[in-house]
Amino acid sequence: MTPIAISVNSVSKRFRIYHERNQTLKAAVMRGRRLVHEDFWALTDVSFDIPVGSTYALIGDNGSGKSTLLKCVAEILFPDKGTITRNGRMAALLEVGSGFHPELSGRENVYLNGSILGMSKKEIQSKFDSIVDFSGVEKFIDQPVKNYSSGMYVRLGFSVAINVDPDILLVDEVLAVGDTAFQEKCAQKFRDFKTAGKTVVIVSHSMPILQSMCDSAAWLSHGVLQQVGDAGPVISAYKEATLGHQ
Amino acid sequence: MNSLKAVIASRELLLNLTLREIRGKYKRTIFGQLWSLANPLASMLVYTVVFALILRVEPLPGNPSGVHVYALWLLCALLPWNFFVTVTTGGMGALIGNSDLIKKVHFQRSTLVLSQVLSSTYTWCIEMAVLLVAMSIAGAFVIPWLPLLVIFMLLLVLFAAGVSLALSIINVHFRDTQYLVGILLQMWIFLTPILYPITEVASRSEKHGGLLGTNITILDIYRLNPMERFSAVFRSLIYDNRFPEIDDSLWCLGWASVALVVGFFIFQRNEKKLAELL
Repeated sequence: MTPIAISVNSVSKRFRIYHERNQTLKAAVMRGRRLVHEDFWALTDVSFDIPVGSTYALIGDNGSGKSTLLKCVAEILFPDKGTITRNGRMAALLEVGSGFHPELSGRENVYLNGSILGMSKKEIQSKFDSIVDFSGVEKFIDQPVKNYSSGMYVRLGFSVAINVDPDILLVDEVLAVGDTAFQEKCAQKFRDFKTAGKTVVIVSHSMPILQSMCDSAAWLSHGVLQQVGDAGPVISAYKEATLGHQ
Repeated sequence: MNSLKAVIASRELLLNLTLREIRGKYKRTIFGQLWSLANPLASMLVYTVVFALILRVEPLPGNPSGVHVYALWLLCALLPWNFFVTVTTGGMGALIGNSDLIKKVHFQRSTLVLSQVLSSTYTWCIEMAVLLVAMSIAGAFVIPWLPLLVIFMLLLVLFAAGVSLALSIINVHFRDTQYLVGILLQMWIFLTPILYPITEVASRSEKHGGLLGTNITILDIYRLNPMERFSAVFRSLIYDNRFPEIDDSLWCLGWASVALVVGFFIFQRNEKKLAELL
């Protein structure tokens, strides 16, 4: 029995859909105490375990709840029912470069972004060279990031995030940043992660990438878990189901 | 206090966010941080012309400092007031302004508001230092009062932090808050003895007597204003160079504690819902 990195226990997440999305005081007073809303269950009773050291894929159509689930795991959203337990340090790559201040230099932003992601100053200092090296923006590190090209921007953001050195890494559709050379570097980094025995959870629509990287997968449809297990069978079952619909 | 522990745990993040505010603010300006002094100086000039030269408001000379300059007397209360306004307006918008970050990254959310508080505190400290130099030139002896001054500045920081923590959450629920608070702050300055001495209110209140047959006077109600107490304390320390009244000091302490507890409570209750609400 391998140890569990993330355990998802009958998690349900509800969003409220307001018919009148009017966030004003006047609207609140006018409609009185009764809030007009409809419950939308983005996740219903989802349970599965992610073992330590696995590379785990979350798959499903748009709006199937996989990103919501990932955000619940990342503690950005909180489930209405059920619990999620995590063992080990976690980092989430949901969007790269968020929190960069355009007027500040790349160097200052590495420190800022690193501390937002939970690194201590000492840690960032010791990893600073490898972060900059990985991003490939050495020449411009003391320039304000607003002068960066969009590729440089995301590369620097990605480098900071991937150097957090977590036990569990959550990734949402950010695998496709930078040029081919950078993508190859990222793929290598993920392989290093795997050999180091770390857990990676990936949300993506790119089946070829998932098939080559992941060993297990969970398939969600309309917030309900359809199938869990080895990556190969789950991905082919999902593919069959979506192609069958068309 | 769990939330207080969490803030301490993320102190490095708080520091980095504060530095982001301070460094980012005056980037690409020629005068840089000097601009932070321009604002209080400009309002000092305007208020001095209107209130001292035209309306002839004349506060008592500092006792025992002997300083008798309206502009300095004004600044002793105006600088704390300006600080309070900057913190509340800045802190109130901190969550909305960083909504992208909140929706994508897990971190201690209160650091966003508190970094606004700290960066404004930094600016305020510079302003106060300049004021202390000016007071010394005018003949006041401020150095022995520095320790007490620091304590009361800290109390005002805590008070403002509590208020902005609460307002930042309310503003996420109702975006009207920022505009409403803007108007309230404009009125609030005139309900506080910053531009005129409190004796003006006291004498009128005495003439009027108790309200509706009770012993409560207009002055009693007027003095419920937390900023009135803070203004009185700061003037005692900097302008008069004497100990602040005990009851003023206790009120300041009380207001700061209440604001901080309520602010953290409201923030803690809503923190987890922020990513959804924004």
